[in-house]
Amino acid sequence: MDVTTAAERALVGQGRVRTGPRVNRRSLAGYAFVAPSLILLMIFALGPFLFTIWVSLHEWNMLTPIGEMPSVGLANYRYLLSDDPLFRETFVNTVYYALGNVGISVVLALGVALILNGPIKLRAIWRAAFFMPYVTAPVAIAIVWRNMLDGNWGMVNGLLDRFGLPQQPFLDSLEQAMPSMIAVAIWHGAGYYMIIFLAGLQAVPYDLYEAAKLDGAGSWRLFWSITLPLLRPTLLFVIVVNTLASLQVFDLPFVLTQGGPVNETTTLVMYMYETAFSFLRMGRATSMAVMLFAVIFVITMIQLRLLREKE
Amino acid sequence: MKHGENTRNQIAKTGITRRSFAQGLAGAPFALGATAYSVSTARAQDDVRLVVLTHWATQEQREPLEAIFNEYTEANPNVEIELQTVEFAELLNRITTGQLGGDSPDIYHFYNLWLPEFVASELLSVPPEDNASDITSAYAPGTVDGASYNNQVWGYPTEVNDYQLVYNIAHLQEAGLEAPPATFTELREAAQMLTKRDGDDLTQAGFLFLASWDSGVVHPWTSLLWSNGGEYVADDYSEVLFNQQPGIEALQLETDIVNDGSAIMGIPEDADFEAGRVSMTIMANWWGALLRASDIGMENVGVAPIPHGEGGSPIALQYEWLWGVSNATEKVDAAWAFLNWLNSPRGGAETSSPMGDFLTTALNAIPGRTSDQEAHADLLGDPFVQPFVEALATARSEPIIPGAQEIKTTLQTQIESAWFGQTSPEDVLNTAAEAANRILAEQGGA
Repeated sequence: MDVTTAAERALVGQGRVRTGPRVNRRSLAGYAFVAPSLILLMIFALGPFLFTIWVSLHEWNMLTPIGEMPSVGLANYRYLLSDDPLFRETFVNTVYYALGNVGISVVLALGVALILNGPIKLRAIWRAAFFMPYVTAPVAIAIVWRNMLDGNWGMVNGLLDRFGLPQQPFLDSLEQAMPSMIAVAIWHGAGYYMIIFLAGLQAVPYDLYEAAKLDGAGSWRLFWSITLPLLRPTLLFVIVVNTLASLQVFDLPFVLTQGGPVNETTTLVMYMYETAFSFLRMGRATSMAVMLFAVIFVITMIQLRLLREKE
Repeated sequence: MKHGENTRNQIAKTGITRRSFAQGLAGAPFALGATAYSVSTARAQDDVRLVVLTHWATQEQREPLEAIFNEYTEANPNVEIELQTVEFAELLNRITTGQLGGDSPDIYHFYNLWLPEFVASELLSVPPEDNASDITSAYAPGTVDGASYNNQVWGYPTEVNDYQLVYNIAHLQEAGLEAPPATFTELREAAQMLTKRDGDDLTQAGFLFLASWDSGVVHPWTSLLWSNGGEYVADDYSEVLFNQQPGIEALQLETDIVNDGSAIMGIPEDADFEAGRVSMTIMANWWGALLRASDIGMENVGVAPIPHGEGGSPIALQYEWLWGVSNATEKVDAAWAFLNWLNSPRGGAETSSPMGDFLTTALNAIPGRTSDQEAHADLLGDPFVQPFVEALATARSEPIIPGAQEIKTTLQTQIESAWFGQTSPEDVLNTAAEAANRILAEQGGA
């Protein structure tokens, strides 16, 4: 319920607040306050976005003046969709990464948050321990994990060997490279989402659990009927934010695997970066950016619709 | 009369009101700026200020370079030189953004593979005839080729890098190998002999293939291609030729070494060679700085010519950097005069140029100018560096063709897929050739 609106209605009913011009003045004041931010957003977000779409309809190597870009219409889009196998491959890689990272990290973060929301010993230390990977720079993490996951002499293989388990190629394998990278991403990001879930869990009124327990509800019923529905807004936020970040991942594969082996871990943003700044094909790169935007927009809308709380 | 009244009267006499004072205060910065501009404009008419952009960005590189620039400005007091540096990974971005923003340097130091795009975009100024003649006569043929595109030399080559077989001397001695491998067959056999295992665990690999890095993959393979009598591209850039039999055989050699279990794939940062985990690789001379800084001990590092195929001869791939002048600068003459001084012997034919001094002493690099190589024969006679210098006599430049970077990246991916056994060498090279020919056609290669 909108408190401001309810209060206003009460005051209006008491004849203590006038409607009409005073409400319009409030609206005008509101617009005036957001105008500077709106103008900055138009200049630094909408402007570049429209320019990106414009460049995607041209060929441009960034060395010739913008006014001399030859127009190619939708040729860049046609090429990417029909003649560029690497675009399709990197798109699939990106979706694979996003599904794995989001799917596992959300469940893991929620599970850990549920445990750490309970009365366990050294709770503060556990929370800090889970959160610490997130505050470490992704580049540093990638460098360390690259060494640890070395297929011949990495620390992880050393541990496996100590326990009599077979060594694994990890990042040197076509099959294991992406799952290994997803595992590193989960290790890095789950702590952040855990903190968000913890905040959401602590907002759930405890008396609801008490009442349910009095009615004989077990742990699973408490989670399914009380925790999960009330955690819906938090869940929505975590899934949407995690999905957005996963679909645009760049730093981790760039440092951890350089997109290899054989492009198995090359993401769409990496390919976009290479196309723009190594191949100097900005028209084609902006086409990828526009298509990625469209995909992210659709996915986000679907997520919002599925997870939005019913009023 | 009260103080305030007196003040108001004074203001009234002078005609200065609060409004006019505020207006004057607001206008002062503009007036100052205009004055400064007119002063600087007046100074620009007499002096020349050259902006030089390089990727030599560390303090150890900047300081000696600035000292050389100061030497020139002391001899030419009307010339001021500003050195701008960025890391290599940002250099092309800096050039493109400078071009877009109208803030381009006067002199570029750039990777020669970018020549086709720079020339097509009219980024570079054509060297005056004297400079062009000097370049074609004072540098080795391969080096001149590396600074040329469309039958035109575009700048002064600086550091030259080429590839050779680098090996661990102790490993070869332990394995009973009297000499490093000289042919494809010997290379495969040596890799097998040098590979050691402790049960199923690999403890020493015979050969290191550099992966996930286009130059690391393509440069060694191209050296093998040429050493097997093959060609990379047609003379008129109409099509690539690397998918013909010599190229297939060169890639087959690499896949055979991988399938024998005699190789690992890694990146230079893994330091596998330095740690003694691999015995051989094909790498460039600039790697020497990293090897010297490691614990391997340079007395344990050997360098040999690229192994050749039957009927072939060792041919190393070389690439280089060069100084070029912006086509947008108004100070073309001053820029080329400076580059001429920078790259010419200081005091006679047998002396080094300032650039030669910088490359050999500050960078431990190989200078492109033949007279600089001779003048610094003592430094370049280092057991690690000398084979790379000798190989320059027959080395060939990395192909400077339209879309070269995109073709190289495509080729890298296909070669790696052959290493991993996804497809045969012939199929991957044909796939790479199809993509490369399309890129050549798009970029106007034919």
